[in-house]
Amino acid sequence: MSGILETLGNLYESTLFVYGLVLLIVYALLAFFSMLAIRGYLQKNNDHQLDLLASSPMAPGITILAPAFNEGLTIISNVRSLLTLNYPRYEIVLINDGSTDNTMQLLIDEFKMVVVEYAYNAKIRTQPVKKIYKSTDPAYSSLLVIDKVNGKSKADAVNAGMNIATFNYFVCTDVDCILHKDTLLELIKPVMQEEGKRVIAIGATLRIANSCEFDEGVMTRMRPPRQLLPRFQEVEYIRSFVLGKMGWSYINCVPNVSGGLGLFDKEVAIRSGGYDHSSFGEDMELLTRMCRYAHDNHIDYSIRYIPKTLCWTEAPSTLKIFNRQRTRWSRGLAQLIYAHFGMFMNPRYGKMGLIIFPFNFFFELLAPLIEFTGVVSYIVLAIMGRINWPYAVLLLLFVYTYSVMITTISILWDQLSFRYYKSWKEVLYLCMTPFMEFLLYHPLIVVYSIRGYYYFLTGKKSTWGNMQRQGFGKKK
Amino acid sequence: MFTGINSATMSKILLVEDDEIMPKIVARILPASEYELHHVSNGKEAFEKLDSTNYGYDLIITDIMMPYANGFEILSKVKNRERPIPVIIVSNAGNEDMIMEGFKLGADDFLKKPIIPAELLIRVKRLLMKNK
Amino acid sequence: MNIFRYAPLAIQLAMIFIVIATAGTLLAYFSILRSRYLGYRQDKRMSYLLPKVDNLIIEEVLTNPEVTETSYSDQLILNTEGFQELPMHKKWVREAITGRIMHFRRNVRGNMGQMLRSLYMQLDLDKDTMKKMKSGKWEKKVQALTEFINMDMSISDVTILPLTNSRNRELRAAARHAYIKLSKNEPFKFFDVVTEPLLMWDQVELFRIISSTEDIAVPNFARWITYSSNKSVVSFCLKLIVHYNQLPAVPAVIKLLDTKDHYLRANAINCLGKLRVPDVEEKLVSLYSSQPLHCQIEILKALGRISSGRYIDFLKQEFLHSTDFDLRKSAAKSLVKNEWIASQVLQELIDTANPENLRILKHCMNPLIKY
Repeated sequence: MSGILETLGNLYESTLFVYGLVLLIVYALLAFFSMLAIRGYLQKNNDHQLDLLASSPMAPGITILAPAFNEGLTIISNVRSLLTLNYPRYEIVLINDGSTDNTMQLLIDEFKMVVVEYAYNAKIRTQPVKKIYKSTDPAYSSLLVIDKVNGKSKADAVNAGMNIATFNYFVCTDVDCILHKDTLLELIKPVMQEEGKRVIAIGATLRIANSCEFDEGVMTRMRPPRQLLPRFQEVEYIRSFVLGKMGWSYINCVPNVSGGLGLFDKEVAIRSGGYDHSSFGEDMELLTRMCRYAHDNHIDYSIRYIPKTLCWTEAPSTLKIFNRQRTRWSRGLAQLIYAHFGMFMNPRYGKMGLIIFPFNFFFELLAPLIEFTGVVSYIVLAIMGRINWPYAVLLLLFVYTYSVMITTISILWDQLSFRYYKSWKEVLYLCMTPFMEFLLYHPLIVVYSIRGYYYFLTGKKSTWGNMQRQGFGKKK
Repeated sequence: MFTGINSATMSKILLVEDDEIMPKIVARILPASEYELHHVSNGKEAFEKLDSTNYGYDLIITDIMMPYANGFEILSKVKNRERPIPVIIVSNAGNEDMIMEGFKLGADDFLKKPIIPAELLIRVKRLLMKNK
Repeated sequence: MNIFRYAPLAIQLAMIFIVIATAGTLLAYFSILRSRYLGYRQDKRMSYLLPKVDNLIIEEVLTNPEVTETSYSDQLILNTEGFQELPMHKKWVREAITGRIMHFRRNVRGNMGQMLRSLYMQLDLDKDTMKKMKSGKWEKKVQALTEFINMDMSISDVTILPLTNSRNRELRAAARHAYIKLSKNEPFKFFDVVTEPLLMWDQVELFRIISSTEDIAVPNFARWITYSSNKSVVSFCLKLIVHYNQLPAVPAVIKLLDTKDHYLRANAINCLGKLRVPDVEEKLVSLYSSQPLHCQIEILKALGRISSGRYIDFLKQEFLHSTDFDLRKSAAKSLVKNEWIASQVLQELIDTANPENLRILKHCMNPLIKY
């Protein structure tokens, strides 16, 4: 009996060991690939190219889809910042998702909007659209507002926008995200420079806006968040985008284009069925379906990322909201893996099936579970007195220093390519955060993720909830 | 100070331009002896200046794509007054739609960057003369 | 040390990696600080230098009395004394000045632009650019080509042509553009030889180069429409034909309607519509029923643009009877464009249309709605 336990124990230990090793190697590879990708991006780009595109009559049209729900505090300044984006040919489709506050009235008053009879073909089914508004002032002629019945999800709102969108590309963003003025130029440029493949989605680095200074929707100073929780998220975002996504982008294996900012090929998005309103991770879910569609229709596609920060979003600063956000994300992941499990190790789906999906399954989905069981078994073994303490401490120390190094490297890549933040002290302050991440932040993520899986298994009803807005008002 | 007499004959021009070099060039093309040139670098400052001087400008030269408020908004606000101010758009926008929009909103002239200095001077003179 | 010697392999590796990771992290901090310092120093340098350079340029070049002369002589010697007071022996100074001159040239042209160019040459900055051309790194070569293009300097074909076959795509494209802008021989011969597809981005750059070169010899693009086997070249030439309004090229474009590639066909129809060629309407209408959807939409759009008034009935039939929503909308838009002759027909349709069609008509007639 004890022999079997012993063997099981050893098997478990070696699996854990291999698992950890593979993860570490993957991160090292990502660090390397992201360096190559960022270097390639910097070599190919200069400011004059943006000017060239901005003044070219051949710039492709882009539709911006911005769903809004009860954004009365900030809606006007956000729409204004969208209206001043630097791009020659675009339209803004704002979808008022049945707001119960004065969002709609504010828009009508500020931008002199009137109801118009708009004819469009609803290719994706959504909650009914009540009215469509356009401005009587030609200065705002690129703005269109859709007033629709609340669909209880961002997905439904964006789908309604997609139905009306005119151009072949659309940018999906949250109306509370602040976009860089060159966002459209930066996102469409790699699409136009791609050789041989069709870019169906492209994203850029997202950052936390919590301690940044804004003036009517324009960022005047970038600063790492002062509060601890958002600062952890800033570091996490930098690592995830600058190291992670850029690394994946180099080998064309990007698993997800963030819903906060992404440019998509409209035709492929609509033909894949649009966003799924029952999904909790609708951005990743749509991308997976777009990849499936591309594979099924023999489209040679690519999904890319650019290392420049183009979007700033407000991060949850209280545990309660953070909990909700992360639970929702992990629930979405579990849903996605379950729904599309047919792609697992399926060569029919190319890189998606053989690399991305398995990676997401083992190292994103299972990771919290494995960590949790690992910790528990360690505690059990410790109680039973079977731990070799020096070795255990050394292993732990190894994992700790490795994770700090990887995070610091991602901050380094970010600083080398774009010198963000005003003073070096702020950067160093940010660099101190990874030291605490392992002990404070990471356990939170594990717990919330497992909670998300639990909800997925029990099918608990949950709503999107409302981010308590602090607004991007000027700091006093 | 007898600048009062001079400022009566000097034309007041507002330049709205976010590029850092263009204002220096325009300042040379429109000499300070004949033109009182005010420069702002974005739409918000333009509105502030217009409000504070009660739209007391003889001519506005503006770009289109700028932070805070794009050139079209400025055009629209300026042209909807009882005494509209002539506006010249100076932009590197290359597509026809944008240029048409500008004219639809009432722009009096359009110059594409890079500009020929003599051309700007002639058009400014002509518009100012027309309005006197 | 004892722990290390007696530990299993995994632990030994772990200990080594702890040292590597710590060293790596420290190295990262050092790199971050160093890069920030260098950037800070660069900012300081530029904020000191650039205002001075701007003033010198404005004083010397822009207020030079010659600027207002109608003719401009290349021989004019500019007073570069002011510049010599700057540390011109330092490379970063010269680079900054070149960059600034290019920035000025993006804002002005004409005599002032020419003077800026003379300044560039008289300060010997073109020698720096030439040195960059000879560099081994492709980014430097591309930078040099961009500088030459902006400054309108002529370079010998011998220097550029080999680069057009370079293995590096960006360099190939930059060399091609430089050739078109700066060579005096047959600038468009590349359309004959380029076999790789022109990316959308290449087309943006090409279009800019071609349309901004003042005395370029514009050939009849029909040549490539008929003879080129490179589809992206054909499609790009269609756009150039529209831009230069080359009516003599129309017969070649009409022949293109017979091509098997329906994307190319759609482009050709689009071109004919924008050129407003009335004679081709009949052919388009006769082809209509055998076309794929997006070609049909292009045909309807073309009828709207040409606006001859002869196919009102055809548009009306399509609007009333087509089963595809997009076709009906395009037909309605074209009818509205033909309003000068079709206003009665439109009124009739409005009076008798079903709710969905009425909506389409109202949409197309509403000036607030752009698309």
